[in-house]
Amino acid sequence: KEKCYKLSLDLKQSTNGHVEALEILLLGLCGVPKENLRVHELCLKSGPNLGSEASEIRILCDLMQPEPAWTVRHVGGADQISVLVRTMVESKASKHVLRLFYLLGYKLDHELLRVGFAFHFQRGAQITVTVSSYSRLLKLHATDDDNVPVTPGIQMVEVTAPASAENYTEVAAAVSSFCEYLAPLLHLSKPGVSTGVVPTAAAAAASLMSFSGSTNIRHSEV
Amino acid sequence: TPKPLDLCSSPSPPINRRQSTNPIRRISFHQTSPPMDGSIGVGQGQQQQPQPQQDQQQQQQQAKVVERLNPAVQQQLNLESVKTRAISLFKAISRILEDFDLLARTNSVPKHDVSSQFSMVNLELYNIVEDIKKVSKAFVVHPKNVNAENAAILPVMISSKLLPEIEADDNAKREQLLYGMQNLSIPAQIEKLKARIDMIGAACESAEKVIADTRKTYFGARQGPTNILTLDKAQAAKIQDQGNALRNAVNHGQGLRLPMEQRQMTAALPAHLVDVLPVGENTQTISESSGGMYMKNTPPVSSNNVNNQGTLMQGSGSQLMGRAAASPGNAGTSSFDNTTASPLPYANSPRSAANMMNTPSPQQQTQQQHQQQQQQQQRQKFMQLPQHQQQMLAQQLRQSPMTGLGQNQLSQLHDLQGQAQNKYQLHGQNQMQYSQSLGGQQFQGRQLPSGGIQHGISQSQLNQGNQLNRHLNQMSGTANSALFNAAQATPNNQMMSNMSAMMTSQPHVARMQLY
Repeated sequence: KEKCYKLSLDLKQSTNGHVEALEILLLGLCGVPKENLRVHELCLKSGPNLGSEASEIRILCDLMQPEPAWTVRHVGGADQISVLVRTMVESKASKHVLRLFYLLGYKLDHELLRVGFAFHFQRGAQITVTVSSYSRLLKLHATDDDNVPVTPGIQMVEVTAPASAENYTEVAAAVSSFCEYLAPLLHLSKPGVSTGVVPTAAAAAASLMSFSGSTNIRHSEV
Repeated sequence: TPKPLDLCSSPSPPINRRQSTNPIRRISFHQTSPPMDGSIGVGQGQQQQPQPQQDQQQQQQQAKVVERLNPAVQQQLNLESVKTRAISLFKAISRILEDFDLLARTNSVPKHDVSSQFSMVNLELYNIVEDIKKVSKAFVVHPKNVNAENAAILPVMISSKLLPEIEADDNAKREQLLYGMQNLSIPAQIEKLKARIDMIGAACESAEKVIADTRKTYFGARQGPTNILTLDKAQAAKIQDQGNALRNAVNHGQGLRLPMEQRQMTAALPAHLVDVLPVGENTQTISESSGGMYMKNTPPVSSNNVNNQGTLMQGSGSQLMGRAAASPGNAGTSSFDNTTASPLPYANSPRSAANMMNTPSPQQQTQQQHQQQQQQQQRQKFMQLPQHQQQMLAQQLRQSPMTGLGQNQLSQLHDLQGQAQNKYQLHGQNQMQYSQSLGGQQFQGRQLPSGGIQHGISQSQLNQGNQLNRHLNQMSGTANSALFNAAQATPNNQMMSNMSAMMTSQPHVARMQLY
């Protein structure tokens, strides 16, 4: 139930063929085994009864655990730190959290299924890198059915690290320097700005995968 | 004037050329050395700060001098980042070496990921070397003295070369080298040495070429015929668009909102939602404007429907049910039906006391519709009955052995009754409405027809709430909601302190206590 700021930097999305290469690179960089990720994300918005400004809450259900683990996440408005930085507060919750918010008057705005893998490690800060593909749910709450990726072939790479107002700059530096290692494959992008494909991506991916014997980088997508 | 300590790397990448063709100048153990411009070989004049005094100061300032790079060099090479990368590479390599150590000791087979780590290391090394190569002409290694101060920072090879033992070793090697040539004339010796150097140089070149070729084949094998750098504009634009679409979808939910028709509940909820959302219960959706999704036979009640999940407000089962049955005598209830899933199930209200439990009777549903039309009247009546409501509350609490409610909670609730009125802000006649269901998870008949809700919860109430939070944590969701019901939302009503568990204002979200 701790409150923390999270630095979240969206890296350029990588295409499917590069994902394996990215995984190899991350494995080498982080030194920890990957953890698989499967999260049902429900985004709730408050109704008009709860104030003039709608507030948004995300409820995340981690489906990889033996018992589904629920988390509440709230992303705040623009901060003093930077207009591009958002305060994010996360809290673990019981499974009743969804009903709780419904009771409060929150309503489901949209939901997502997120599937991928993550690395948690320590390098100047407690950093988490996730590579995931987001899918829409065709029917309400139908996470078990086949789902349609929002953008087929493109995955989202996110690097996050918890920070407080005091150590924000150090954590930001740690995250940025880590991201430099991903430079052959990815560009660090500002929120809202897409950076397209890195010119060295295919070559870097090829060299990373040359030892693992995997195949097929799809050039049509590059 | 040159500084005694010029921290530079050798002009050629150290890995490829073990036998450097650039001899490292050895000027050992000079205490004061005249400025040696020639020995520096700096192409771009590294040291920028003019030194007022010379020799003695040089030695003394050995360790204190701050090096500055020529700005042009600095542009081409970010020293800090290279240093960081080199250090990390070093750490990665040592980690890999440890792994190999372990493997060697245990005689096990290296796993796939070790080789992948190697490829990463290789790539990173290549990048660092390339970066250094760009500016290596600006640097030269030139230690003049090795002493305690600088021994730690000089690279091992350079510092060791200056130690007397190494020096002796060196001499021995030199003699060995020139062994066969002692008798020849000096120029001949020089010739021979040159030839030898050239041979070695050639060998290095070819080795380098082999490495580069191998690298290229690996690069090239994966590339295929197409040139990777030519992404035609359409493709690049398409990727850009897709990227933006993904970002918008993830951050803002664009393109993910299902239209009304599609928000039908799936036949089977996934496992993690099965016991969270009771079967048959409908979720709240922003785009809904009516309760149409709820029950087939319930007409939309008002335009500003909240569509709460009122069905979640379960009573604590039998007790409340028993109560409902047994409480005929609430003042003012006579005008209301006892059996309805009332649209106004205020715990304190005369009506709700009788209607705390919904029985899923068909009667009920038709009556509901009936009552919805009477809502307005009823609300007005509620507002006029504060005293009664309080009494109801007292009654109910005394009588209902709610799960998890301890004695002190009851007394707290009583206390609340005696306190000043809460500041509920209601819009017009909209009031929060809850319907309760019987114990268990039957929600088919439930309805939360109408009314927007507005609450303002003042801070004092929140503080009170903290006292009850412990108890809340112990209670199940059903009992909780029953408590909540007990503190209903008419004006002039005491707010139950458990409202604090359901803060609605934004800033409090972070402090929410979730059970």
